[in-house]
Amino acid sequence: MKVPEGCAICEATWGNYWAEVEGQRMFFCCEICEVEFRNMIAEVKHRTGWQTIDQIKVNGDQRQRECTAISGNRSYHFSIGFDSQGGIRIFQEKLARL
Amino acid sequence: MTKCAVCGQLFALGDYRSLSSHFYNLAEKSDVEHVMWLNRNITKKKLDETALEQQMFDYFDAKKDIRNWIKKRFIERFYGERPHPFVLALQHPSRATLLGYVLEHQHFLRQWTRSCANIIAKTDQVDVTLYEIDNINTEFGGYGPERPSHYELLLRMGESLGTTRQQVLATPPLLDTKLAIKTWNEIAVSDHWLETMVAMHGLELIADRNLKNEGASISYFDPAILSGNEITDATKDFLREGYEADVEHSEEALDLIAKYSSQLGIAENIQATFLKSIHAFDNYLMARLERGRQLESA
Repeated sequence: MKVPEGCAICEATWGNYWAEVEGQRMFFCCEICEVEFRNMIAEVKHRTGWQTIDQIKVNGDQRQRECTAISGNRSYHFSIGFDSQGGIRIFQEKLARL
Repeated sequence: MTKCAVCGQLFALGDYRSLSSHFYNLAEKSDVEHVMWLNRNITKKKLDETALEQQMFDYFDAKKDIRNWIKKRFIERFYGERPHPFVLALQHPSRATLLGYVLEHQHFLRQWTRSCANIIAKTDQVDVTLYEIDNINTEFGGYGPERPSHYELLLRMGESLGTTRQQVLATPPLLDTKLAIKTWNEIAVSDHWLETMVAMHGLELIADRNLKNEGASISYFDPAILSGNEITDATKDFLREGYEADVEHSEEALDLIAKYSSQLGIAENIQATFLKSIHAFDNYLMARLERGRQLESA
């Protein structure tokens, strides 16, 4: 899965935290970002029914992130926000092209 | 002393080298709170220790004017290029947003009173004691039927939106409200009374309409909603009270904070605690929104 450079969700380059997600070793700045990322991937898979995700694009800040998930030639746009523990506080589907 | 805004560790006055080493080392260990603090306040891009020390120095450099430094940091956080989502929602609020405000803010105001009471308990400065007594009355006690407290106006706003005060009072806080209140209570119990003052009264800047003259991109809400029919009269009463009172409150408090931080020589502690408090406040405002969304989807 192609993810943003630096921390896979916030792009920070502080920290030294690695975890295997979806069979891939990924860098996160901290464990909360890992929790956020795992929750995000699970939610996208649940909502789209996709088995795999090829790429995640993330923009925004900790309060709300505008994202695109790509699987093959399909893309899925959504906004996501997390609580302070990494749980999903808000998830809004944008224009989805499945 | 210089103080870590995350964990409270103390360093010698002006020792930004040790402070930045502290952050650097904890970031290397991926400590969540220290990494997040760097990401949100300094930069997301990793720096070497020397560059980090310089950035820290610049960030905390109040140029001998702590009042302006507090306002600057507050504006950056809540009224900058990307204003806080709750403030955006409050420009023309939905019923759910306002109810989210009511349900979470009741807990905030109770903590407010506890924090102010702690200041009174710890200080021996008469002007501070008098300020806090007036503040507790304005926010919580009220001045009789003609001048109900902000807390009473909040409950009336809830009633005007279709909920009962019994329902409001029986609703526990959301997690992030609870965590924020824990932060403020710990400051009130453990830290210097002047740090408690900046932790609480610095937050009143949120409704200070004068911030627009000092760089804020928008105000707390669109003042036009106070004159139209968009919101209930009780909501107008609540918002108007804060709109008028918080300018006075926050300015007076900032004067006291500037005066005593200089006299007591604890300006750097004040800065660290202020940053800790606005971080909690940011999460708390998100909890108000979360509550509103829960009500919308119920």
